[in-house]
Amino acid sequence: MTRLPVPRLFLALAMVLAAIYLFPLYWMYATSLKGQSEIFANPPTFWPRDPDPSIYPETWERRSMGRFLWNSLVIGTGVTALTVLLGTGCAYVLARYRSAWVDLGLFAILMLQVLPASVMITPLYVGFNQLGLLSYPRTAVILAAAGKAIPFYIVLVRATFMNVPRELEEAALVDGNSRWGAFFFIVLPLARNGILVLAILTFMQAFGEYIYAKSIITTQAYQPASVGLSGFLGPNSTDWNGIMAYAAIYVTPIVAIFVILQRRIVAGLTSGALK
Amino acid sequence: MTPQIEIASVDKHYGAYHALKDINLTIPRGAFTALVGPSGCGKSTLLRSIAGLESITSGNLRIAGTEMSGVPPRKRDVAMVFQSYALYPHMNVLGNLTYSLRFKGFNKEQARKKADEVAQVIGLTELLERYPRELSGGQRQRVAMGRAIICEPKAFLFDEPLSNLDAALRVHMRMEIRALHDRLGATSVYVTHDQVEAMTMADHVVVMRAGVIEQQGAPLELYDNPANKFVAGFIGSPAMNFLDATVAEDGRSARLEIAGKPVLPLARTLQPGREVTVGLRPEHLRIDTAAPRLQVPVRVVESTGSLTYSTTETEPELMIVEQGRGRYRAGETLPLTIAPEDIHLFDPTSGTAL
Repeated sequence: MTRLPVPRLFLALAMVLAAIYLFPLYWMYATSLKGQSEIFANPPTFWPRDPDPSIYPETWERRSMGRFLWNSLVIGTGVTALTVLLGTGCAYVLARYRSAWVDLGLFAILMLQVLPASVMITPLYVGFNQLGLLSYPRTAVILAAAGKAIPFYIVLVRATFMNVPRELEEAALVDGNSRWGAFFFIVLPLARNGILVLAILTFMQAFGEYIYAKSIITTQAYQPASVGLSGFLGPNSTDWNGIMAYAAIYVTPIVAIFVILQRRIVAGLTSGALK
Repeated sequence: MTPQIEIASVDKHYGAYHALKDINLTIPRGAFTALVGPSGCGKSTLLRSIAGLESITSGNLRIAGTEMSGVPPRKRDVAMVFQSYALYPHMNVLGNLTYSLRFKGFNKEQARKKADEVAQVIGLTELLERYPRELSGGQRQRVAMGRAIICEPKAFLFDEPLSNLDAALRVHMRMEIRALHDRLGATSVYVTHDQVEAMTMADHVVVMRAGVIEQQGAPLELYDNPANKFVAGFIGSPAMNFLDATVAEDGRSARLEIAGKPVLPLARTLQPGREVTVGLRPEHLRIDTAAPRLQVPVRVVESTGSLTYSTTETEPELMIVEQGRGRYRAGETLPLTIAPEDIHLFDPTSGTAL
């Protein structure tokens, strides 16, 4: 039996593309472990000749990363909590009721999804200023970023809810549940995977949020790690292994979460998380 | 008999759509009632209104004497078996069976004991720990039944519960459901689009069309005395043959409007010259070589061995069911006769039985 080489070719192509995309990640770890002179060596070394992990604790201390990461964590958690709490209810309603108003609502939500953060930031900034929210900069960022994350969350969680057959809810109602009971005991457990996956994606995105945090938070003590990292980069910056070490510390937890949960995330995104 | 479900002048509107039109129906305690009709006739809407999953626009609906309009499903004390079974996929069979008991104040041991009893009745004892996805269609059907009987409801509501099963299993489950109904002395309302199911299972059949009850009564009464052309065509399989005809000069026979204009004697006298629709059941048309009333050419002959279905070449075509293997082949002429009392007559415009 002769097999066409096409699938293999595509596989090879996919591997090459993946390698291109993953290379910067590798280069980040490699560079962080190199010495100053080795970074600029030509030809470059692909494996550090003399790996020096001491740069990690040093950068952590010098750039007060504990505080930055804490702020990132606060913002990420806040955005995720707000998104899941508000978005889940919205998504359920939009999945269960059909009317012209619902269609209009969905359209508006998709529109919100289209607007980029860089366009939204100016009106948001002015609005927050009027409301006095700028005195609570992290809360302001949480609100702004959640506003950006919720549409995406609603659209995808709605799809998950639509995969939960209506008859199950009706069976629960006849069995003695109230409307709320049917939602919490039957629908939510069945949509759990989808909700979990989207909560994780929302968290990962909010953890790396940059534009809103950079614009709204002026006090360094409240800035997240993304903004802290950009403080490194100047026109004359040379501390490349410091920057790379910082980036590595910042990114590794997210990469770890993704690697651990990737099976679930992929399954949840493709299958609607149920059957 | 004491009425268990009383439906009086019930109307249901979905916006401009009139789904149920002045429905009046009384279901006695312990009866097995089938709601039957083509899709979109309102039978499911009526069932769901009884369950409380749909609200009625006007009229009265009483279960065991208590007015139910505005009462949520959980307070109606009914159980429903859905077409898709609607088993909770995240719970095992035990969880599915006992789910409703947690709202009725049962503790864990009581619920377990009850589940064991029910599992015994429906033959699921071995499967209590399994999840719905690990069960076959018939087993899922049984769990759905078990979930309904465990809470000893005032009425069982079935929404086309057998349509997802294969033919053999369907016939088997039909008997099982009916046997269960008799054993429990329950009141059942059964929605189906399959008239055979309705006829074989129910004590009382309600034929619906376009939101209206066309006729209700005992199964064979509907078969023998259909109130109109729709019921006549719906009940019985294969369906009744309808032919245009004119009442002859003597008033005691009808001339059929097919090739050859054959004349059939009637069991009663009608006004001569009156136009009628004649209904002839395929199983009432007999082959009679001695004194045939009508001679029709055959186009298709299909035999199952026990029964033979012949379709004629006429316009409109006739269907004839014959016991055993057919003696005639396609292209030959069938000599047919029918007893005068087996001929149904309908008004050609209104469709009402004469």
